[in-house]
Amino acid sequence: MVSDAADEPGSPLVDRWTALDRGWQALALGLGVVAVHAAAQAAGVF
Amino acid sequence: MSAVAAARPYLPGLGLLAVGALLSHLVAGAVDGLQPLVVAVAIGALVGNTVGTPDAAEPGVGVDKLFLETGIVLLGAAVVVEEFLAAGPTVLGLVVATVAGGLLLAEGIARGLFRLDGTTPSLLAAGASVCGVSAVVAIGRVLDSRGSAITFAAATVLLFDAVTLVAFPVAGEWLGLTGRQFGVWAGVSMFSTGPVAAAGFAHSPEAGQWATVTKLARNSLLGGVAVAYSLAYTARSATDPGVRRLWAEFPKFLLGFLAVAAVANSGLLSPAALASIGRVSDALFTLAFVGLGLSIRLREMREVGGAAVGAVLVHLLVVSALALAAVRWLL
Repeated sequence: MVSDAADEPGSPLVDRWTALDRGWQALALGLGVVAVHAAAQAAGVF
Repeated sequence: MSAVAAARPYLPGLGLLAVGALLSHLVAGAVDGLQPLVVAVAIGALVGNTVGTPDAAEPGVGVDKLFLETGIVLLGAAVVVEEFLAAGPTVLGLVVATVAGGLLLAEGIARGLFRLDGTTPSLLAAGASVCGVSAVVAIGRVLDSRGSAITFAAATVLLFDAVTLVAFPVAGEWLGLTGRQFGVWAGVSMFSTGPVAAAGFAHSPEAGQWATVTKLARNSLLGGVAVAYSLAYTARSATDPGVRRLWAEFPKFLLGFLAVAAVANSGLLSPAALASIGRVSDALFTLAFVGLGLSIRLREMREVGGAAVGAVLVHLLVVSALALAAVRWLL
């Protein structure tokens, strides 16, 4: 039987992300960007 | 479904937003005094009202609000907390007064002067006084409004979003307002968050920050307004008022904005890192404003009813005139 990609169970991360309220998504993305900058600063990029 | 497969439907729309954003920077770079964010809205509106958004691009273009909210979270990095704390009580007082007074005024005008009935006056009042379309939808859900009433009120708010997006920066220039005065004025008078931020940045970066922060304070009152409306309409549909409703309607990205402002002001990040975060925020705003322009549909706006337009226009004129007097006097 050939399975359709859309029928496959979703990856937990994608499911969790799409279930999030847009406000929480924005908060997570924003804090992620700040975290990347903090890590880059620690690594001597900034 | 893998993350790549889940992202695929969004790619055409994201590409369209990226091309619009790139074009807006090229055009603004070529014409002196032109702000890329304003060009982004104009390009979006031009494409949306001529060729239209291709069906394949719709899912990706719909991500514009996520970009706007993430851009606002990152705008926290540009906020100088001392400056905002100094003006905070005045601005907060203005926000609470304009939201509370604006709601009562809009209800009075819509019901008394323009004879609108049902939940439509409340939907218009919430849209005009709190945070545009999202307030219309939230209050519509609380009041169990008909879908057609919500669509009608949302279309009216969108019409005013488009008009004020052009009118406010022109008026601000003509009135000779400072960046802070203009930002707070736009933040308490205009309707939806995207157009408020766009109008602010069209005036100056300082005005953009003040407009966004003022508008965020206004948005944060949505939960309280939802509870007040559900209590006021108790006989019809009050369900689940209280803390849960308040939290459900609270714009969560506001917490991210506050967290980033706290990190930025703690001295943890270097000026170069903060400047880089600011550039990411600018890029997200440009993408979001292309999407905002794409969502402006002039044809749909012609179908909005005269009474609703009249009620919201009177409300806008009164609130913006009083707010203008207040910002000139207080800031």
